Amino acid sequence: MNHNRRDFLKTASAATLAALAAGYPRRLVGAEAADQKLQPTADRVIVLWMAGGMAHTETFDPKRYTPFEKGMAPNAFLSTFPSIQTAVDGIKFSEGLERLARVMDRGTLIRTYTAGDLGFILHSRHQYQWHTGYAPPQSVAAPHLGAVIARTLGPLNPVVPPFINLGQRLDLGEGEELKAFTTAGFLGSEYGPFNIPFPDQAANSVRPPSGMTPGRFENREKFFKRILAASPIGQQGSGYQQESLLRSLDNAYHLLSSPAAKAFDLSLEPIDQIRNYVPSYQPNQRFDAAQDRFGAKYEEQMVGRFGLGCLLARRLAEVGARYIEVTTEYIPFLNWDTHENGHLRAAAMKRQIDAPVAQLILDLEERGLLDRTLVVLASEFSRDALIEGKPDKKVKDQVEVPEKLEDAKFYGMHRHFTDAGSVLLFGGGVKKGYVHGRTADERPCRTLENRVVIEDLHASIYSALGISPKLAYEIERRPFYVTRDGLGRRIGELFARSS
Amino acid sequence: MDTRESLLQGGDSGLAVKLGKSQESLLIELVSGLDADNVMPKKGTRLTASEIGLLRAWIDQGSPWATGVTFARPRSLNLLPPEPVAKVSASSPLNPVDQILGPYFTEKAVPPGAVVEDRAFARRVYLDVVGLLPTADELAVFLADERTDKRTQLAKRVLGEGEGYAGHWLSFWNDLLRNDYRGTGYIDGGREPISSWLFNALRTNRPYDQFVADLVNPTPGTAGFTKGIVWRGVVNSSQTPQMQAAQGISQVFLGVNLKCASCHDSFVNDWRLADAYSMAAVYSDGPLEMFQCDKPTGKTVASRFLYPELGEIDPTADKAARLKRLAELMTAPTNGRLPRTIVNRLWARLFGRGLVEPVDDMEQPAWDQDLIDWLAQDLVANHYDLKHTLEVMLTSRAYQRPAVNLGEAVSKEFVFRGPAIRRLSAEQFDDAVGQITGVWPEKAALSVPTQPVRASLVVADPLAVALGRPNREQIVTTREMAATTLQALELTHGQTLADRLHRGALKLTEPGMAPAPLVERLFRQALGRPPSPVEAQLAAGLVGQPASAEGVEDLLWTLAMLPEFQLID
Repeated sequence: MNHNRRDFLKTASAATLAALAAGYPRRLVGAEAADQKLQPTADRVIVLWMAGGMAHTETFDPKRYTPFEKGMAPNAFLSTFPSIQTAVDGIKFSEGLERLARVMDRGTLIRTYTAGDLGFILHSRHQYQWHTGYAPPQSVAAPHLGAVIARTLGPLNPVVPPFINLGQRLDLGEGEELKAFTTAGFLGSEYGPFNIPFPDQAANSVRPPSGMTPGRFENREKFFKRILAASPIGQQGSGYQQESLLRSLDNAYHLLSSPAAKAFDLSLEPIDQIRNYVPSYQPNQRFDAAQDRFGAKYEEQMVGRFGLGCLLARRLAEVGARYIEVTTEYIPFLNWDTHENGHLRAAAMKRQIDAPVAQLILDLEERGLLDRTLVVLASEFSRDALIEGKPDKKVKDQVEVPEKLEDAKFYGMHRHFTDAGSVLLFGGGVKKGYVHGRTADERPCRTLENRVVIEDLHASIYSALGISPKLAYEIERRPFYVTRDGLGRRIGELFARSS
Repeated sequence: MDTRESLLQGGDSGLAVKLGKSQESLLIELVSGLDADNVMPKKGTRLTASEIGLLRAWIDQGSPWATGVTFARPRSLNLLPPEPVAKVSASSPLNPVDQILGPYFTEKAVPPGAVVEDRAFARRVYLDVVGLLPTADELAVFLADERTDKRTQLAKRVLGEGEGYAGHWLSFWNDLLRNDYRGTGYIDGGREPISSWLFNALRTNRPYDQFVADLVNPTPGTAGFTKGIVWRGVVNSSQTPQMQAAQGISQVFLGVNLKCASCHDSFVNDWRLADAYSMAAVYSDGPLEMFQCDKPTGKTVASRFLYPELGEIDPTADKAARLKRLAELMTAPTNGRLPRTIVNRLWARLFGRGLVEPVDDMEQPAWDQDLIDWLAQDLVANHYDLKHTLEVMLTSRAYQRPAVNLGEAVSKEFVFRGPAIRRLSAEQFDDAVGQITGVWPEKAALSVPTQPVRASLVVADPLAVALGRPNREQIVTTREMAATTLQALELTHGQTLADRLHRGALKLTEPGMAPAPLVERLFRQALGRPPSPVEAQLAAGLVGQPASAEGVEDLLWTLAMLPEFQLID
């Protein structure tokens, strides 16, 4: 008899086969046993994804402000906006985030998120790493943070898809790379994202297809049941395949007819409430015209999409979604991905996020949901006018920076900076009015203390939900950990209670 | 130190163990670190005091070790060319698969089953060979056929279709070879498709050994497979193109997983880091430095075939010669793993579960070793003609047995009782919907003169993705086929399917049309049978008199949602 690794694992294969038949990877028991009992402080997560690289010195970690002057050197400015007070003494934000400043006392600000060193900086690679905890390429299909949470905790409300992804079209530039991580991966598509790229049209996702009235939809459902019952084949040879097919169709139908479906319909929200999220909102205004050029029309569309996305997130949280992500959308060279006109674009992006994010926090608080909802606002990396990468780990420059700024289009943060970054956390048990980490006040505005890396940020999010950072799922006979190699550690200082 | 015998024999340094005298045993001296210059293990964490104590107690108790238990690497299974299978006799009238399964069924007390009716058989064959439903006419012809060997004739005829076969099996191979029209890596030249070569190879039924050789020793049309997916920036050393090539070839053609061994000696099988790197070295220009957990080890390895017992590659030869040699070793008659791996995959497709499971772990015994061995040597004896192997399987009585619910067979030991109830794949569903609506995609992503445009020839749409078409970022050898709520949402609310059904209904409905003939036609096309009187009446009521496009659309949807349509049983 050979006692090799294969044989030791033989007992696994029967169970794995069972799991294969059931379709789901086996959760490895014992991986969590080592940890202390995790008391969840959150039941749901909302991630506000600032795709494209949000400059920290232009948003939540302002430094010395220097206005534009023709002929100035790029090294002469650290922030292109003055700073403003927030509701918390000692914490300042960048001008343009006044509403968020007023709710800073509800949350925690991390100033020292640092992205991984992945060489030549590509948004999609860093976004992949942010969302899965692993750098691509991976030998297995790594699951998205939302899918891990959906799989581990299950839905809060059985009819509402547990993982909902708002605001990102997947057929744009780098779309294939985005798809690579916008997935449940090997966990199985039951936990995949319910994608709604245009939040203002979300109601359509839970309505009959266009052209079909609700009455006809109901009749079709009834007819289906009657034909099924009349089938001469009957239920013979049925079993789990047939049952699961019919059950899934039932679930889809129930979502439609359940009260939860109304959450998707933004037209049911009073106009004055909508205007808290999108100040210029007009009744029946649509925000689904694809805009690929920066300008007023574009800005109006993006403000509307993200603002309504935040509103939709609140409504979905109210009816029991487990993980909701709202993004300002990654479009190469647009939104936060400022390769030129950084100052103007940052101003526009702050207009895009300030009102709706602040309102989301206030609304959740008002509805008594904030305490058990962890809200995370983050980006894949930060920006700087000069440094690409980290000061001690520079990578190839991607943007030309002139020695003298003759044109204001060069005034802004156009290079990808990975040695600092701001992450805002609200609710879900985090401390109120707390800053974690310190960055330098002179260039390079890098992390000085309390560096936060992605596995620890994930570990903190998972722990808040009662999920161990050492949890693993079995794939191809080996464990795949929800934080990189199981090494993520919860950052205790972020939370109001130490454990 | 693999067996008790070899441990007690000792080695160059003398005896490792003195039975009953742990304090005099060299083994204990080394692990205790008594000699600072000579500690075991040389690298890694030292044994703790209690672990050393355990070893000492074991030695003092006489080193109990059951006879025959060894830590040596076992001989690989399913590797050497199969021996002739005595159970199979050329003079028997029975299909060889059935000749082998006869004793199996007796031993497992599986009662002999009837075979499924013609309609079910035809549906299986068409879907398994060309990925389409039999048309109502084709089915009618088959049902009326009175030849005693009509099922064999049907299998042969459908296997003879070049375009249809390619249009179906393209998806299977795209999954295995990570090939797609869109995907990660294309954006900056880090990936190449092999679609044209692949479609053509399937259409012409390229012999499998040549097919594999083409991929392993690439030509311009096939280079994309071993080129892999190159993401820009710093990539983990376990995912360089050479490592991807080694992993891909080993998984797809040899049925072994080198992924773990690409970072460190594997914990889940017996492959070592050097094994993975030696294979990868075949694809590199020179010897490769090994990286362990992404850190350089300072050690290089030269090219070496994964199974040196099957043959060697001259590591000093240039890359072109090495690749040629690798292709030879992969496809030589001495390589009994290659044919076994592919017949296992084909069996898994047709029967819902492989002879060896998981299908990417071929170093395990099959549930019937004679069956896999016979099928493998039969493939080789027939010049690696995959269609021949398919024909053998399709014409077996085993294939014609009533379908079984595999999900319930969650017991310790699998017993084969017949093909599993399977579900239409994403592409089969799309194509079947095309057949009942008459609506097909307008433009193929791959320029072939095939009509109609099959689902395998277009880029993935939300419906296909929901139904399980993978993004092919990694190799996929078995798709998950569970029914999920997101799938159902796409099927009931999604615009992709709705549009197609809508357009189909418009095509099918003529002004003033009576419902009954159309209802009958749609049932026959979708389900292969006429509607029962109750069904006919319900359906006519839905469709309306005269037929309305809306009613027809809703009938089409209903038929497509029926388990009878979506399942292959």
